[in-house]
Amino acid sequence: MITREDVENIALLSKLFVPEEEMDSLTESMQEIVRFADTINNADTEGVEFDNINNLSNVLREDEVKPSYPSEEILKNAPEQAEEHFLVRKHA
Amino acid sequence: MKYELVAGFETHIELGTNTKIFCSCSTEFGGEPNSHCCPVCIGLPGTLPVLNKKVVEYGVMAGLATNGKIANISKMDRKNYCYPDLSKAYQISQLYAPLSIGGYVQLSNGRKIRLHHIHIEEDAGKLIHNHGDTYVDYNRGGVPLIEIVSEPDIRSIDEAREYVEKLQQVMRYIGISDCRMQEGSMRCDVNISVRPVGSEKLGTRTEIKNMNSITFITKAMEYEFERQVDLIESGGQVVQETLRYDDATNTTSSMRSKEDAHDYRYFRDPDLVTISITDEEIEEIRSKLPELPQQKCERYIDELEIPPADASQLTKYRNISEYFDKAIDGLKKPKTVSNFIISQIFRTLRTEEDKEAFAVKTTPEQLNELCKLIEDGKVQNNLAKSVLDKMLESGKPCTEYITEEDMAGLDDDLVEKLCKDAIANNPKAVEQYKAGKEKAIMACMGYVMKNSKGKANAQDVLAKIKSLIS
Amino acid sequence: MGYIKKIQNMLTGGEITCVEFTKKYLEAIKTDNKELNAYVTVTEEEALATAQKVDEKIARGEELLPLEGVPMTLKDNISTKGIETTCCSKILSGYKPIYNATVWDILKNQNAVLLGKTNMDEFAMGSSCETSCFGGAMNPHNTCYVSGGSSGGVASAVAGDIAVFGLGSDTGGSIRQPASFCGIVGLKPTYGAVSRYGLVAYASSLDQIGPITKTVEDTAIVFDNISVYDKKDSTSCNKNISPTVDTLNKDIKGKKIGIAREYLDGVRDDVKESILAAAEKYKELGAEIVYFDLPALKFALPVYYILACAEASSNLGRYDGIRYGYKTEHYEGTHDMICRTRSEGFGDEVKRRILLGTYVLSAGYYDAYYKKAQNLRGTIIKAFEDAFENVDVILAPTVPMTAFEKGKATSDPVETYLTDICTVPINIAGLPSVSIPCGFNSNGMPIGMQIIGKKFDEATILNVAYKYEQVCPENFKDTKWGVKL
Repeated sequence: MITREDVENIALLSKLFVPEEEMDSLTESMQEIVRFADTINNADTEGVEFDNINNLSNVLREDEVKPSYPSEEILKNAPEQAEEHFLVRKHA
Repeated sequence: MKYELVAGFETHIELGTNTKIFCSCSTEFGGEPNSHCCPVCIGLPGTLPVLNKKVVEYGVMAGLATNGKIANISKMDRKNYCYPDLSKAYQISQLYAPLSIGGYVQLSNGRKIRLHHIHIEEDAGKLIHNHGDTYVDYNRGGVPLIEIVSEPDIRSIDEAREYVEKLQQVMRYIGISDCRMQEGSMRCDVNISVRPVGSEKLGTRTEIKNMNSITFITKAMEYEFERQVDLIESGGQVVQETLRYDDATNTTSSMRSKEDAHDYRYFRDPDLVTISITDEEIEEIRSKLPELPQQKCERYIDELEIPPADASQLTKYRNISEYFDKAIDGLKKPKTVSNFIISQIFRTLRTEEDKEAFAVKTTPEQLNELCKLIEDGKVQNNLAKSVLDKMLESGKPCTEYITEEDMAGLDDDLVEKLCKDAIANNPKAVEQYKAGKEKAIMACMGYVMKNSKGKANAQDVLAKIKSLIS
Repeated sequence: MGYIKKIQNMLTGGEITCVEFTKKYLEAIKTDNKELNAYVTVTEEEALATAQKVDEKIARGEELLPLEGVPMTLKDNISTKGIETTCCSKILSGYKPIYNATVWDILKNQNAVLLGKTNMDEFAMGSSCETSCFGGAMNPHNTCYVSGGSSGGVASAVAGDIAVFGLGSDTGGSIRQPASFCGIVGLKPTYGAVSRYGLVAYASSLDQIGPITKTVEDTAIVFDNISVYDKKDSTSCNKNISPTVDTLNKDIKGKKIGIAREYLDGVRDDVKESILAAAEKYKELGAEIVYFDLPALKFALPVYYILACAEASSNLGRYDGIRYGYKTEHYEGTHDMICRTRSEGFGDEVKRRILLGTYVLSAGYYDAYYKKAQNLRGTIIKAFEDAFENVDVILAPTVPMTAFEKGKATSDPVETYLTDICTVPINIAGLPSVSIPCGFNSNGMPIGMQIIGKKFDEATILNVAYKYEQVCPENFKDTKWGVKL
């Protein structure tokens, strides 16, 4: 059973704030979803493995340099930038 | 009570590939901020990684060079944590199936520091903090790393230092990294705990993160060892935590904050496929590895009769040992070459960097030529020394400085005449020698050597004088 | 004949210029999109510039490439350089990629005419298109109904004739379900057949890009052109599949069409009847209907939600307000900035899935959920492989119901997830599946069925679909919207 503390912990890991007043309803809805996920608990998976869907291996690239993007392009979508850097100000 | 230190290392080494691990951007150090970047390494939505072949090859080399077992099947996992230097909020790394398993690094005291595994992963970008503002540069983001994880087998600060130096030496030898700690291409996290001597049980450990100099590592370990011992002695308990070492104050402090909940939620990266390496491929890479410093050093001692201290100096850097190997070609006494390198050539190389680069004007072939003349008795040691100094200065071969006459040697008559002169000119010394003062005879020796301009063979001269006196 | 060939004939026959033709579409978008809400960005300049190029090419007497001059659209999670790509999420508002998705590169190189980017559930998480931050796209058959999701905008635009074709993405049914709701054709290709490079990831091991069109032939043409090996996508397969369009009309006499009994359980009666009627049609065409059991299906839905959410929680970690997209206005420190940005930028359904994904991967739960689901994925793959030992294709409903009324989608997340029960097993197994219309319910809303094939056997499922389309054209009905040819 997923508890309120679990939800608080996974919210922190997910970097999401959950307002105090929504905590109970979120916990409830998470409990319902997890109960649904729990239906796989008694499935027998003895001896079954999954690797990758088409069992591909060794998709590799040669070590050859290609031109990078100009830094203006790289920074184009940045909400804030300064001196060719992405910038996070201390507060706003 | 006496306490023992128990430490394990997690060592990150940047690989010297041309391109990043998952995109074709250059790995070059430095450069304008965010100028070695593309949509992939800044984690733009929709971009996908493609693994650099060379990174796998270098990882296998690192595993083989540290006696590891290379996995036939290995996989890439995502390590999830959100931090501004990590453009995707996960680092592509390996947890469940790393590239190399086990292995060890052998120390000079004979102890083996076991390795848990070696895996490949990507580096994060760089953050610059300025008055609380954070500036982010992703040039380093995606540069390939190997992480070498040791078992907690290290028992002293000296072992820690040697372990790091050995790793550095081996990785440089096999040419996969320059391991420059000051540039951050080699960084260590140290797990450290203490326990009463004789106890088998491991104490609670702390982890000191991200140290980039051997001096800091040893200082931080010393400090942390004392801190833990003091804590236990005064009835306290060590708390398992992550620490930062501050070199200015020479102290460690906790890095923990309520914001870092640590649960990396590793899982297989669905964007990358399996890495599969056959035994044949592993053997092929093994066959291309150069002779490793440890083996080389042992061979120099056992087969070439080089004194252990000298052998270890010769094998410290790959360039030196390669030079030495070329210079001893066909010689009966490789020690002559070793002496020249350690006494004379090293004198011209001021810093460790110079020694590592070993950019010497005299080629190993030229030094070999000079040593051959010594072995053939054509040139005496003293003369050879001064000749080598000139060669190192100019880069010219020894024949430039040695005349035909020098090499012709002295005929026996002339030696005998000089010896007789010496005896005649040093009556006092001869008297003393006769009275049993062995050393007095050196005055006669000096006379002969001086007047033969160093060309005379010292052993022959000594024998001659002795026979003439008696 | 499909629309693509018909349009190219009109263009090369001089009936209409590509610019004029494009303008008709742009005008139709101006009027009809108000109600359909299919487009979230219209790229008029891009469209007209391309159309101009096509006209010049025609004037020079050059032959047209297969998709040249055809007005089309892309789901808003396919990266288009310089053109906003938001995944219909506030967190990506204003984001203009600096590179093109591989599929868009292919289409752009062919001078396909991009009319704009289309609506979707936020980050492709939803079944009604209503989790879009722009509000949902409506169903052209009746705008009181949803278009389906998550590629609801593409389906709405194509069914409403304000695009000839579109590319959507399908993680658990997001192409097939809206195609079914809107009475058109949608193909989820084999995993690895179409490059994912540039598709904003929801669940990387399940996502595939595919076409949504009005006819099977159009789907075949688009698929043939976008299924190209791409070295930028490590999961892309180098298969060199022969063009599916060549074998559309092949006789299907003797083909074994399987129906899994589990697939008809819990399906609404009108849907079930349509499927069975289609099976009868196939019998008339000489195919053999084979019933079989697929018990592994009962785990498909929880397996899907565990795997998809786990991957999503990781894929969506990068939206932190630093490199692109939305950033909160007021904050104190970096951690606070990131948390506020994400909390304000993501909608509720996205947050729920991130939380579930974080939970199933977190310490102590990984084995019970993620690892177990991963193993069950192996079980489901094996079950399909076994089934395909005995049948050529599998016939199944696309959705257990028809389109729901706007705003009536249940607020219960698990009940909503049940909508995906028929589509998710295909993504889990990485198989190709095409949804085509097979009838209408009493309200006149379309019913869809899917034809599922072996990996990389798009040719057979499109062949089987095409044959049905030939004998049941009445199920492929036009709506009142858009441009009529």
